[in-house]
Amino acid sequence: MVELDTIPAYFADKQEVLDEILGRYPEYGRRSAVMPLLWEVQNAERYVSEARIAEIAEILGMHPTEVKGVMSFYSEYHGEPVGKYHLQVCSTLSCSLAGSDQLYDYLVEKLGIVNGETDAEGRFSIQRVECLGSCGTGPVLQVNDVYYERVSRTRCDQLIEALKHGDMPDAWRERGGDNESAEKADFLMSAASGRASTGEGEG
Amino acid sequence: MSDVADAPEAARPITSRRDPRYEVVMYRHVGVDGAWKLDYYRSHGGYEAATKALTQMSPSQVIDEVKASKLRGRGGAGFPTGLKWSFMPPVDGRQRLLVVNADESEPGSFKDRYIMEDDPHQLIEGMIIGCYAIQATKAMIYIRGEYVKGYQRLVGAVREAREAGILGKNVLGTEVEVDITVHRGAGAYICGEETALMNSLEGLRGNPRLKPPFPAQAGVYGLPTTINNVTTMTSVVHIITRGAHWFSSMGTEDSKGTKLYQISGPVERPGVYELPMGASFRELIYDLAGGPKGGEAKGFFPGGSSTPPLPWTDEYLDMAMDYGSLAKAGSMLGTGGVIVIPKEKDIVDAMYNVVRFYAHESCGKCTPCREGISTWLPKMYQKLLAGLGTREDLDLMEEMVRNSRGTAFCPLADACAMPVQASFKWFRDEYEFIVDNGRPMYTKNDWWEA
Amino acid sequence: MKVTVNDVSMDFPQGTSVIDAIFAAGYDVPYFCSQEYMSPIGACRMCLARIGAPRKDREGNWILDEESGEPKIFYFPNMMATCTTQVMEGMVVDTLSEDVKNIQGGMVEFTLINHPLDCPVCDKGGACELQDRAYEYGTGLSRFDFDKRHQEKHHPLSELITLDRERCIHCKRCVRYFEEVPGDSVLDFIERGGHTYIGTLDDGLPSNFTGNITDICPVGALLDTTSRFRGRNWEYQHTRSTGMDDASGSAIMIDGRTGRIERIKAALHPDVNKTWIDDGTRFGHEYVNAEDRVRSPLIRRDGALTPVTWEEAAAFIRDRLSGLSGKDIGIALRADATLEEGIAARALADALGTGQLDHAPRPAASVIPQQSPATLTDLATADAIFVVGDVTEEVPIADLRIKDALKGVTPPAMMQHGVPIADLRLKEHPVLQREKLTVAAPYRVDLMKHAGRAMQYPAGGEAALFQALQAVAEADDAEGGLRLDEAQRAGLGSSVEDATALVQRLRAADNAVLVYGGFVLASREAAAAAAGFAKAVGAKVMIIGPMANSYGLELAGVGPSHARYAYPDMLEGARALILSNLDPAQDPDVRTQLEQKDFLVVHDLFITETAQLADVVLPAKSVFEKDGTTVNLEGRFLGVHAAPIEGGESEDFVGLVGALGEALGQRLEGRSVRSARRVLRKRFEIDPAELGPTGQLYRPKGRTTAKVTIRSSEAVDGNVLVTPSMLRIEYLHRNPHLNALSGGPRLRMGPADAALNNVADGDAVRLRVGGVVRRATVCVDDKVPPGLMLLPTLPEQPIGLARADLSTLVRDERELEVAG
Repeated sequence: MVELDTIPAYFADKQEVLDEILGRYPEYGRRSAVMPLLWEVQNAERYVSEARIAEIAEILGMHPTEVKGVMSFYSEYHGEPVGKYHLQVCSTLSCSLAGSDQLYDYLVEKLGIVNGETDAEGRFSIQRVECLGSCGTGPVLQVNDVYYERVSRTRCDQLIEALKHGDMPDAWRERGGDNESAEKADFLMSAASGRASTGEGEG
Repeated sequence: MSDVADAPEAARPITSRRDPRYEVVMYRHVGVDGAWKLDYYRSHGGYEAATKALTQMSPSQVIDEVKASKLRGRGGAGFPTGLKWSFMPPVDGRQRLLVVNADESEPGSFKDRYIMEDDPHQLIEGMIIGCYAIQATKAMIYIRGEYVKGYQRLVGAVREAREAGILGKNVLGTEVEVDITVHRGAGAYICGEETALMNSLEGLRGNPRLKPPFPAQAGVYGLPTTINNVTTMTSVVHIITRGAHWFSSMGTEDSKGTKLYQISGPVERPGVYELPMGASFRELIYDLAGGPKGGEAKGFFPGGSSTPPLPWTDEYLDMAMDYGSLAKAGSMLGTGGVIVIPKEKDIVDAMYNVVRFYAHESCGKCTPCREGISTWLPKMYQKLLAGLGTREDLDLMEEMVRNSRGTAFCPLADACAMPVQASFKWFRDEYEFIVDNGRPMYTKNDWWEA
Repeated sequence: MKVTVNDVSMDFPQGTSVIDAIFAAGYDVPYFCSQEYMSPIGACRMCLARIGAPRKDREGNWILDEESGEPKIFYFPNMMATCTTQVMEGMVVDTLSEDVKNIQGGMVEFTLINHPLDCPVCDKGGACELQDRAYEYGTGLSRFDFDKRHQEKHHPLSELITLDRERCIHCKRCVRYFEEVPGDSVLDFIERGGHTYIGTLDDGLPSNFTGNITDICPVGALLDTTSRFRGRNWEYQHTRSTGMDDASGSAIMIDGRTGRIERIKAALHPDVNKTWIDDGTRFGHEYVNAEDRVRSPLIRRDGALTPVTWEEAAAFIRDRLSGLSGKDIGIALRADATLEEGIAARALADALGTGQLDHAPRPAASVIPQQSPATLTDLATADAIFVVGDVTEEVPIADLRIKDALKGVTPPAMMQHGVPIADLRLKEHPVLQREKLTVAAPYRVDLMKHAGRAMQYPAGGEAALFQALQAVAEADDAEGGLRLDEAQRAGLGSSVEDATALVQRLRAADNAVLVYGGFVLASREAAAAAAGFAKAVGAKVMIIGPMANSYGLELAGVGPSHARYAYPDMLEGARALILSNLDPAQDPDVRTQLEQKDFLVVHDLFITETAQLADVVLPAKSVFEKDGTTVNLEGRFLGVHAAPIEGGESEDFVGLVGALGEALGQRLEGRSVRSARRVLRKRFEIDPAELGPTGQLYRPKGRTTAKVTIRSSEAVDGNVLVTPSMLRIEYLHRNPHLNALSGGPRLRMGPADAALNNVADGDAVRLRVGGVVRRATVCVDDKVPPGLMLLPTLPEQPIGLARADLSTLVRDERELEVAG
């Protein structure tokens, strides 16, 4: 059993953060806070150690086993540290049809790690994940919290280079269909229907 | 009684984007920089619907309006929203809850994300109206963990709304109380199933629950709960603004209103398109999305990977994208997320990808899903793709999915089994080819653009 | 509601599950995840059947079938899990058709695909639900020809339980058990989908009730480590008996093979322990097989104990006693002796003309409630419970019955097939109605975390506690608490508001129960105050005696004719002693006394410290080898049955008296179990030979007068509190698995006291407490009140405050294992 005394508690100096999270749920629903507390720790430390699991259990009046049971159910919580840049490659059908399988194989070869592994420097780790919910702009690569869409071969190299230099670009948020701004949607409508658009109230 | 065909133009239902009466309402602000801010939303008519509902209508009138609109839930099940709202028990002093299912994890579905990133106030406004209707003072948004940007935008919008008195004890200056908690998931498709969502929200493992009791009787924390999809909520805003009649003037007999359809797979212009219900697949795929890249496709999933795929024939391309038509065709509308299967993608490979998805996402509670869908079925596909399959294996696979249908605890097993069955029905030749020849019929294996 | 299962129609109350209807009708379906006393969850999908029911139209009339004119049966579109479906009026259930059989076969096939073919080496073989269901419902050859899932095998969850993750079929019984029964969620599923496995972060599974998962696991995933690889299930002889570890009277199944006891399992007793037993009862059997058991009578000749026959020993005893008068002879039995042994001892005492007869440990006050006795069912259905003491250690099953009450579910009605398989009133993640429970103890006890109110009062302050509560009760209004003086408030160990709320709650309850044990019984004043308080608030009373048959032996009057002849006082005055399963020589002063006795007979399983001084040592039977009767804390007469264990020439006290009677040439009552039972039958109008598995509650029409002289009790100004213990400390070193798990007896103290006495956590120490030399391991625990140390009880060291000379606290260099 982990000795809580030897590792300073995560929330020891973050009472406000803790109170805010616990305050989101009623007292009889205190256990709901287990997920946001796990996120809080993972966002700071890149994983949730057994000591932190025990701490969260103590805060919520749960057994460490229950916290681990919840944590391990989900794909996004990690019990081991992930890299500084955790690359999550969407692998489901639409992205696969846009080349995500080839993207994954390329990353594996280029970075020397496979699904679930972190490189020796702790810089990159890679995980094959399922549908990220941006099927129109595949292949999609999520790095930590950021979505990079339409990661073609060229852009993949650009992205990895940037990350190697410690530079994480802003999200590559593509537009498509009705996600285009008004100007572009205009073009679509006229192209589709052959009718002149009014240019108002659409988009 | 005059025939519908003879009815005046104005009385005919709107079932195409080409209809000049149609306008995009839900995605108006998506793609516009800064549209997620409260100022922007208010300057574009934001919160007027909520004000109208809270000051000019009673909760039951709101429910009646939504019933009259014939809005069906946009999360995939298509349950009539007004009816669902009316299932809430009479107010008895217990806390009542509205939960918004923003777990959007169905492959092929990506419509909710843009709303939450670019137009979160539209969702909040819909939630205020919904809470008012079911007399709930608390609402929770369960957003999938991967949608970090959406989460941040929602949290920011909620904060803005609170500061502006749009959320809290006196919503928009009325006596109504509504507040919203945003709760992040952490990567589990099954948590989009409403009972698993409730368990996950309560801090339990995301296994589905028994029904009965239904959420309205005993939901989150055992309290009366209504669960709705994101765009069901946003639809409500426009129903209140423009009226149930406006909403039900669009669509077909059993499917009314405006809906966000999605299209992905190799087409010219994949993305989300708002259309009146009843528009055809052809309109979505060809008119709006520019058709399959390279010209040839052989099949498509009509509404996400859980919906049985259909062949690329006129019969199905010209079909109306509505609940009834698809049910009759032996498939489902689901979330309306079309995935186009190009000719060069071997169906066995494509279905393996889909099966592997369900294998990863199975919660593990029940035997047929954990052992069948999550273990045995993917291994059978691997065997076929390794060139080691036999005809007997095909029979075994069909029997396996038959045994998984209707026997599992929740519909996830069906969501895998039914598409597999359809793939056998429409593309059996490819399955037979791979077992007879030890290699797939279609061998293209590089889809990645430069 | 009328339900037709295949061709059998029966009526069932609303709320019955379809699976129970099926079994009641004499049919069956397979199931794994259901368990009689836990929530039905519909996870394994084995129990699927085709179900239909008639429907009513808008006017409330049955929709009729056009052809037959009968109500039309609408079948559910899918097969339904019968464990989670309620019966409906007119429901039709099909479990026999081809479709159902095919699905059952399909589910068996799915269940088996990842299950390892371990049967030849798996302890569950022959008693395995998966084997049985696969045989009954499976399709034969598996078509799965891939590599099975690989997981860790033989993972020690604790010293007591071995987990084989590959064998797990994910029925979730173990996870639900921990959450729903003891309320300690120490096991859970880890990961999801096909990768799911059972795991824990709570090392060693901290709970007193872990072993039950080895009973309920349908396969060999969770196994009893003490019996691992000890035999095949079909080789075991199963003997149903009553556990003699504590006063609960839990039903047990003794599994023996080739004359050895290998395993204890729980047996079903719906009114006492349901299907649960505590870990002490389950795993504490290894001492019976110890190598150094005394196997024949021994007489000391030339300083050495020499084997002789029973006849020789009996004659020798007769001769040595013949010169002594009754007042010189003392007889004492341990308080887990059977009623028959007690009758035999009384007969012997009468024959020898002595009134110095007693059973030990025997507290200062009576263990028999003088009014409104509570049964365990009363406890499990109470709406207000007040516990004084550590019931989770003292009589663990009561802890589980209390949790039944907190879940608010009454015991199920029996059906044709017994306890219902799927009780739909039980839900996962039950919320305990903690406000029903108040726990008071001199230190923090586990049950407090499930209680609405916890009261920690000063050690030894039981009388003050009850007197203060009585004052609150008598004031009879909301101001009651405010009239208490300083001293009374201090005695409460809690706020005055708490005390007032407690009194009000007990008063207002329809069914209030007060539970107390050793701490209160240590003082006559406290016991009287407790009984008075119970009367004042109208609560039923449950008293926990120190050992299994304390109630019975007191009821049967196995006690001294005068207080000064009580045990251990009799040790001083008597010149000759016959001691059965008692070891008073652990106190060096008593040892010196015993050395000077004229004659000492020790009847025991082992050569104890006292036996080392004896003139005669007689081999005793263990509690698993006797036929007899015991009375549990409810006053329920229960049968104890002998398992076929090879115990040499051992005899219980009845056998001893039989042999001695022969030597004396007298036909003593109690010379045999049969003759002892004649006495019992006459006295209690209960036939021990006809008790059956459920036993019989003894509720005489008049008041039960305690015939046993109450021992004197003096208030002890103690610094060591002897606490109840689930584990039998006297046998702990001979139960290697329990010993390893517990680390031996613990001397618990706060950090300040540890520093003061120059000991550290983990030190092996010796300490003389109340005269008895104790060995223990120091456990530093900041929850122990300062100035107090806690030590678990032994028969020679009863529960309550004791005085320890701390100068005798020294580090013990020897190992705590048994020597010889």
